[in-house]
Amino acid sequence: MRRLKFSLVIFAAISALLASCYYDSEEALYPDLNTNCDTILVTFSSDIVPMLANNCLSCHSNAAAAISGNNIRLEDYADVKTNATTVQDAIKHIGPNSPMPKNGGKLSSCLISQFDIWVRDGMVNN
Amino acid sequence: MRKISLIVLISILPFALFSQNDLLDILNKDSIPGTVYTTATFKSTRIMNGHSIERMHEGVLDFRISHRFGTLNMGPYEFFGLDQSSTHLSLEYGFLDWFMAGIGRGAYEKTFDGFLKFSPVRQSSGTREMPVSVSFMTSASLRSLKWSDPERMNYFSSRLAYVAQVLIGRKMSEGLSLQIMPSYVHRNLVTTELDPNDLYSIGAGGRIKLTKRISINAEYYYLVNPKKYMSQETFDPLSLGFDIETGGHVFQLIFTNSVAMIEKGFIGETTGDWKKGQIHFGFNISRVFTLKAPRRSADDRGVKGR
Repeated sequence: MRRLKFSLVIFAAISALLASCYYDSEEALYPDLNTNCDTILVTFSSDIVPMLANNCLSCHSNAAAAISGNNIRLEDYADVKTNATTVQDAIKHIGPNSPMPKNGGKLSSCLISQFDIWVRDGMVNN
Repeated sequence: MRKISLIVLISILPFALFSQNDLLDILNKDSIPGTVYTTATFKSTRIMNGHSIERMHEGVLDFRISHRFGTLNMGPYEFFGLDQSSTHLSLEYGFLDWFMAGIGRGAYEKTFDGFLKFSPVRQSSGTREMPVSVSFMTSASLRSLKWSDPERMNYFSSRLAYVAQVLIGRKMSEGLSLQIMPSYVHRNLVTTELDPNDLYSIGAGGRIKLTKRISINAEYYYLVNPKKYMSQETFDPLSLGFDIETGGHVFQLIFTNSVAMIEKGFIGETTGDWKKGQIHFGFNISRVFTLKAPRRSADDRGVKGR
C-alpha cells in the first residue's frame, strides 16, 4: 500500500512537471525587443550605465573589482573607456579574455550592439 | 509526435514502477540462493560530470562539493584558470536501496537543481544472470540568474529545464566498467527559433581501475541535434579524469570542456573546445554519512528487516 501511494506521488509529480513544459524562444516570445532595439541614439547614461549595472557591477564595481572582478572596474566613465575593447571581446565571447557575464548566458544581441555603437561613436560621456 | 511518445512513456511509468517493486522485493529478500550481485561498478554516483548507475544505499547521505576552474589556455597570469572558479554543492540521500534523490545549487547561471534516480535492475551472476545494471535519472533545474532585460515580461517557466536519462552500465571485469546513457533535455526557453528546446544525446563513459583506490575515468556525450544552427557555438562535452578513494571520501579530478556540472548545462551549453585548449580543470569531492544503520546488516544478525 505504501508503495502504491509512493508511485502515485511520483506519477503526480512527473505529470505536474510535464504540464509545465513550454516550447518558447526569446526571439518569438519578445519580437518587439529585436525590432525596438535603439541603435540610433545610444548614450552612456541611458544605455551603457544600466547595462553595466544590471550585468557587470556585481563583480566589477569599484568596491568588488579587486576581489572578484580581476581588478577590472566598470563603474566610472573613465574606467569603462579604458576597458572598452576588453569588454567588447568578453561579452561577445571572443578573444583571450574570460567570456562575460561569468556563469551566465550571453547578453542579448541588442545590448551587445548598443555597446559596439557607443564605442564606434567615440565613447562619449553623454 | 515527440510529445505523444513522452506522454505514453510517463503514463506507463507507474506500472513499470509496480513491476520494479516485485522485482525489488525479490532483490531485497535475497531469496535467490547462489546469486551474486555486482557491486562498485563505479566508485561514485557520477562518472565525471554525469550520473553513473550507482546510487546511495538506504540511509546514506552524500555531500558533494564540486569545482570547475577557468580554462587552461588562460595562461600563467590567471594561473591556468585556477583564479576563477565555479562551484556546485549538493546533498543526495538514498531513501531506499533502489531510490535516491538529491538537491543542489550551482554557480553556473545560479541554478538550483533536484534529481530522482531509480535503480530497478542490478547486474548479477549465478542463479540469476543479469548482464547489465540499469538506472533511470530524472531532474529539473531552475536558473535563478537575473534576467538581462528585467523590463520585458519574464515568465517563471522560462527558468526551468528538465532532464531524463536511462543509464545502462556493465562491470566487464574487476578493472573495467562501461556505461551508455541515452539522454533527453528539455529547455522551456531558448534564445532563437532555431535553437532546439528538446535536446537528444547519447553518452558513453567508463572507468579503468589502476589500483585498488585509483581509477581513470572518461565520459563523452554526443549531441544528436545538429549544432550548426544553434545561436551559441556548442561542443560535445568530453571529460577525462581520476577517481581517488580514501575511506569515506571519493575525490574526482577532472579535465573537461564544460563549466556546468548538471546535465542541462553540459549537454546543451558546453562552449569549450578541446582543440583550442578551452579545458577546465576541476574536482568533485564526495563525502558520505551513514544516517541510518544499513538494513542488510540487520538481516545478517537475524533481525527481521522492516
